[in-house]
Amino acid sequence: MLPRSAVRLIGPLTVLVTWELAARFNLVNTLLLPPPSKAIADLMVLISSGYLWKALYASLFRVVCGFALAVAVGVTLGVAMARIRLINDFLDPLVELLRPISPLALFPLAILWFGIGDGSKIFVIALAASFPVILNTFAGARSIDTNLVRASRSLGASEFEMFKGIVLPASLPYIFTGVRLAWGISLIVIIAAEMVGATVGMGYMVLEAQQTFRTERVFAGIFVIGIIGFATDLGFRRLRQWLLPWYRETES
Amino acid sequence: MSGTPERELVRFDRVTLTFPGGFGRGPVDVIRQLDLSVQDGEFVAIIGPSGCGKSTLLSLLAGYLIPSSGQVLFRGKAIWGPGQERMMVFQQPALFPWLTTADNIAFGLRLKANRTKGRNIKETVSAMLQLVQLDGFARYYPSDLSGGMRQRLEIARALAVDPQVLLMDEPLAALDALTRRTMQREVLRIWATTRKTILFVTHDIDEAVIMADRIVVMAQRPTFVLEIEEVPLPRPRLREDPEVGKLVQRLSTLLE
Repeated sequence: MLPRSAVRLIGPLTVLVTWELAARFNLVNTLLLPPPSKAIADLMVLISSGYLWKALYASLFRVVCGFALAVAVGVTLGVAMARIRLINDFLDPLVELLRPISPLALFPLAILWFGIGDGSKIFVIALAASFPVILNTFAGARSIDTNLVRASRSLGASEFEMFKGIVLPASLPYIFTGVRLAWGISLIVIIAAEMVGATVGMGYMVLEAQQTFRTERVFAGIFVIGIIGFATDLGFRRLRQWLLPWYRETES
Repeated sequence: MSGTPERELVRFDRVTLTFPGGFGRGPVDVIRQLDLSVQDGEFVAIIGPSGCGKSTLLSLLAGYLIPSSGQVLFRGKAIWGPGQERMMVFQQPALFPWLTTADNIAFGLRLKANRTKGRNIKETVSAMLQLVQLDGFARYYPSDLSGGMRQRLEIARALAVDPQVLLMDEPLAALDALTRRTMQREVLRIWATTRKTILFVTHDIDEAVIMADRIVVMAQRPTFVLEIEEVPLPRPRLREDPEVGKLVQRLSTLLE
């Protein structure tokens, strides 16, 4: 019997091998669908020339800044909305109105306001990624079992001790889910934003490769983007097991 | 057990609790003109038709609810909110899932309100673990424990802050029949060891007769005390004992 992690590799490997063979035997137009080996060779060029690091650094810097803003603002607003009715009545309609708007629809405005550099990207990421954090934090802070609150009151907890000892830990699994979603959204938004207007970054790199018809570079960029998303999500899951060892999620 | 005033711990004095109406319904009395006195160290079971307000009675004593009229007195003083001297043990254990067994017990002790009591946290925790026979499970999370163990932990957490009365709201109702019998003996053992006063809500008449010094029978909503039955039988009591059977029979007809 193979270990489960090895079994889970079979799917992606099958696709890669089939794709490679199809390209090698010219079953597909290799100008449009170059073999993955060619994309990986180009990736090596990008790495050794340092171009990849430059693009990656630019993109990740924007992502981390926007994401951090989204988490800070999202958790604060989510808790405030869950605990204080007036704030909820004020913000909830705004959140519901802004949420369905595609973050990219606001990107032209963001460029006018914050320029073509980092500012405009950080702004749209922060905006788009804050919604899952707000909504999940809100749900977490609202779903606290009344009996837990009652038990802590009987034990003698003050308002502050209750917030720190009950409200916060009880909301943490929800906040964590929101943060994980926010990270995923940040990665999606940055690539799209850099394709619309940027002079450096992963999205820009892929678009530039497409415009100069270097399909293998398009794929090289896509691989890197995919691997980053996959690896960071794995990191988030590990982080949760470490931070919330008591929390049991039904794992599929 | 006749009430001598100096040993009286709890008194319900003509307590009425009205829930406000709304959505076209008028206000409803849940409890009407209820009088009840509980002595220090007593084990009192409370039975009554389901939904009659047994749990509400405990919530009033815990301080989660305040009577609409009348007073709930604890050692002669009106109750105005929750306090460590009156600890609730919930039917569905309200344990803190992010804390281990030991930290759940220590939670109360670490609060500012209890620091002045000078109880050594480590010693108290291990004494409590021993009392409820959970030694060896100190580092487990509640989700790792069985239903009976969770209920023991809930009792241990409540006892850690040294309350004077335990309010048990159908604490064994969610357990399977076998665990339930074990836990009935456990609660009696803990009661005998700690000499805490216990108010024990149950819908199981057998359970009430096996365990309590006195049984309070509550009326249909709006509830009041229908009857109080003394149980003069020596412990341990067995279900098979004809005296127990007779009493169960009597109480059953009362509740029909």
